Amino acid sequence: MIKKTELQHLLTEALATGADFAEIFIEDTKSSSIRVTSGEVTSIDLGNVFGAGVRLISGLDEVYGFTNDVTYPSILGVVNNLRASFNGELTKVVKLGVKKPFTYNIKRPMNQVHTSEKSKRLQDLSKQIKNYDPRIVQAITQLLETQQKVLVANSEGIYQDDIRTYTRIILMAVAQENGQMQQAYEGPGRYMGFEIFDVIDTVALANEVAQSAITLLTAEDMVPQIMPVVLHNAFGGVIFHEACGHPLEATAVAKGLSPFVGKLGEKVGSDIVTAYDDGDVPGAWGRLSYDDEGMPTQKNLLIENGVLKGYLIDYRNARKMKMATTGSGRRQSYKYSPTSRMNSTYIAPGNDKFEDIIKDTKYGLFAKKLGGGTVVPATGEFNFAVQEGYMIEDGKLTRPVRGAMLIGHGKDVLFKIDKVGDNLEFGQGMCGSLSGSIPVDVGQPTIRVSSMTVGGSGGKK
Amino acid sequence: MYQEWIDLGLSKGITDLQVFSVRNKSLKLSVYQGKLDQHVVSDVESVTVRGIYNNKLSTVRFENFSNLNVSKMLNQLIENAKALTVVEPAIIYAGSKSYPEVKDELFDFGSVPVTEKIDMLKKLEQHILDNEFVTQVQSTMYQELDTKTTLVNSKGLHLERHNTYAYAYAIGVFQKGEDIKTAYDIKLAKKFSEFNAKEMAETTIKQGVSKLGGISIKTGSYPVVFSNEMFADVLDVFTSIFSGEAAYRNLTPLKDKVGKQIAGTHINLIDDPLHPDAYFKNPFDDEGVACQKRYVVKNGVFTGFNHSLKTASIFKEEPTGNGFNGGISTTNFYIEPTLTSFDKLIIDIKDGVYITDLVGLHAGVKVVSGEFSLQASGFKIVNGKIDHPVKMIVVSGNFFEALNHVTGIGSDFKFNLSGIGSPSVYIESLMIGGEA
Repeated sequence: MIKKTELQHLLTEALATGADFAEIFIEDTKSSSIRVTSGEVTSIDLGNVFGAGVRLISGLDEVYGFTNDVTYPSILGVVNNLRASFNGELTKVVKLGVKKPFTYNIKRPMNQVHTSEKSKRLQDLSKQIKNYDPRIVQAITQLLETQQKVLVANSEGIYQDDIRTYTRIILMAVAQENGQMQQAYEGPGRYMGFEIFDVIDTVALANEVAQSAITLLTAEDMVPQIMPVVLHNAFGGVIFHEACGHPLEATAVAKGLSPFVGKLGEKVGSDIVTAYDDGDVPGAWGRLSYDDEGMPTQKNLLIENGVLKGYLIDYRNARKMKMATTGSGRRQSYKYSPTSRMNSTYIAPGNDKFEDIIKDTKYGLFAKKLGGGTVVPATGEFNFAVQEGYMIEDGKLTRPVRGAMLIGHGKDVLFKIDKVGDNLEFGQGMCGSLSGSIPVDVGQPTIRVSSMTVGGSGGKK
Repeated sequence: MYQEWIDLGLSKGITDLQVFSVRNKSLKLSVYQGKLDQHVVSDVESVTVRGIYNNKLSTVRFENFSNLNVSKMLNQLIENAKALTVVEPAIIYAGSKSYPEVKDELFDFGSVPVTEKIDMLKKLEQHILDNEFVTQVQSTMYQELDTKTTLVNSKGLHLERHNTYAYAYAIGVFQKGEDIKTAYDIKLAKKFSEFNAKEMAETTIKQGVSKLGGISIKTGSYPVVFSNEMFADVLDVFTSIFSGEAAYRNLTPLKDKVGKQIAGTHINLIDDPLHPDAYFKNPFDDEGVACQKRYVVKNGVFTGFNHSLKTASIFKEEPTGNGFNGGISTTNFYIEPTLTSFDKLIIDIKDGVYITDLVGLHAGVKVVSGEFSLQASGFKIVNGKIDHPVKMIVVSGNFFEALNHVTGIGSDFKFNLSGIGSPSVYIESLMIGGEA
């Protein structure tokens, strides 16, 4: 490993041609995937991401380089290559500070649980799904484990390490009947080790996934229409993540590519909407002790009672925007320069009961589970697939529907939220953006959007 | 170095092993508002080792090549192999009889000064900004890659390939009144001189301006023509249904369809690793099997699955050279074009939709059922001609049904960057969700 004094030298060398900020990020990540198909352990893969990234900034200009050869001469080579972009003189003395402690409360890290114990869990769950109903033709379960060790050192004295532990369980069911195939999926994840099995009722979840695939077999195709939509809690929050979370990232705001530019203190949603991005929710999939720029993570208020209160800001964009960083600098690996990203983003709970929201809806769509979605930042247009949906008729959940697609505009949807439930839950996903793919939580209680365009292939004449 | 690792693995009791190394050197540049915004240089080698222990195959990937780490990784490979319960063929390949020759020129992008590349992006940005409807250029990107792939195994196989290319694009933001649209066009080049900022800007502008002023349309079923790029994107999502792995795992509705009609008789789907128009050509797959041209669907009949060494052995067929990344994927996969021009393709459509943009393909498609529901925009087709732009619509249907209701296929063939090719394709009827 590179010594602290060596890092100090490298950072000083990096500033020699006039850059006013230098940073070195070193990473050693182990990840493992165990996959069980129809009760058999079919693959076990192990990955090791190892390397160093170097970043130099002068004013607002940035250069970045990376290598998997983590030795002093190799990193010096990257430094020399990068600093050639600037022509000035050394103006700063680099003095690295002292590492601060980070939270590490992992009970069962990946290398301390035997593979046979992990496999057994997955095999049992796979059988659980398979035996749920004769129409289930395939049951796949998977355990994804990651341990990411990082060290950040920069010319402002930050010298910080962190160990991040992520564990995720994937459950998938495929049902078949009359030549028709449907699939359902769940993928809970946590910032913890194998103890994830103690906090999630995986057996109940396996049954739910199996039932979901069966339900889809008899679901009717969604008939396209404009209607009220009740978005269920947990993964329903993906709508806020895509339509509002991304436009609140400094990457969008600093370039003026967001509908929220210059709107701090202004009304951007209905009175009942309050939202946060929190980098320090204990045990949450989107959590970190320190971000990838070595800053402690924190709870950031984004929207309060419909009024815009804050953005998510990384080091470089903080310079551009002349605002403080929010502990939101993240990256997939040393292969990416960090930028502003989300952690656990959610709409805060309101006062409505789930049953009352349904009861209050004369006609609409209940989107129980959402699939993925996309938003075009410049236009604010978004789309979300409904993985499992039900019609609401006269205040009651009736027929299951499939193939529904929700589309709309980010800036409209926040104003159209007219019910916010009290049942906040998180859902887990991987978020892909400029600095790669990172674990994030989306979250919300059950909410109702008074009107949305819903697409689908039903009602064809 | 690789041979030493193989020897070390064999000495640990691994019966056969393969080292697959990819070394990527890259430069990435981005210009924003006339200034350099991103400048990233990298040189990274990643190695994947597959090994057979007790007749079970397991894989480790790593980037740390210290003796200590390599030894640890090989030990872990053995531990993981021991934990596998499934009984499946485990094969390290001795090699194909012959390998196709790829006549791709190499170009040293590093020989062009960085300033020239930055200038190209600045010009591209400025040319787009010059258009009256452009409010800004959201981002520009130039990336060059030099990739060296080496495959060495304990059966004596040693293969290498080397590829160089670069690509560039700029995303323009176009506005007319309240209506905002973005557009970009990725240009991939094998030589730096192929980049022409002016031409690239013109393509982007043409695309962006044509999208402006779109309105929604009435919900209903319409004849739908997908542009060549969009049909390629749809096809891209469904390539996995042709995989032998999916057949073996019960994850494709084509499982019992080999030799059966699955599409209209005029449909040919082909996987061709060496297609002259394709951006990337593969002489061998990641398992060392020679790649070859193959009809996956011929005259609407499904001829058979794409195979890796494992699935070929399970189905008692020959490997097809589609073993990539530990799984199975297509190489350059395309729907065969006809001689029908675009104008002629749409001439009989009285009231239809031409789709030039699809959003959210990763979310709006269910591969095993074939169902799709996608946010789209494009143009209305009225009386056989392209009419006004349409936006914020959802196009829905079923891919397998659509393959049986292809009314026409165009001649305007092109490959996308992920190696999927298509001309414009006319589907008899699909559901469009729009206004009430």
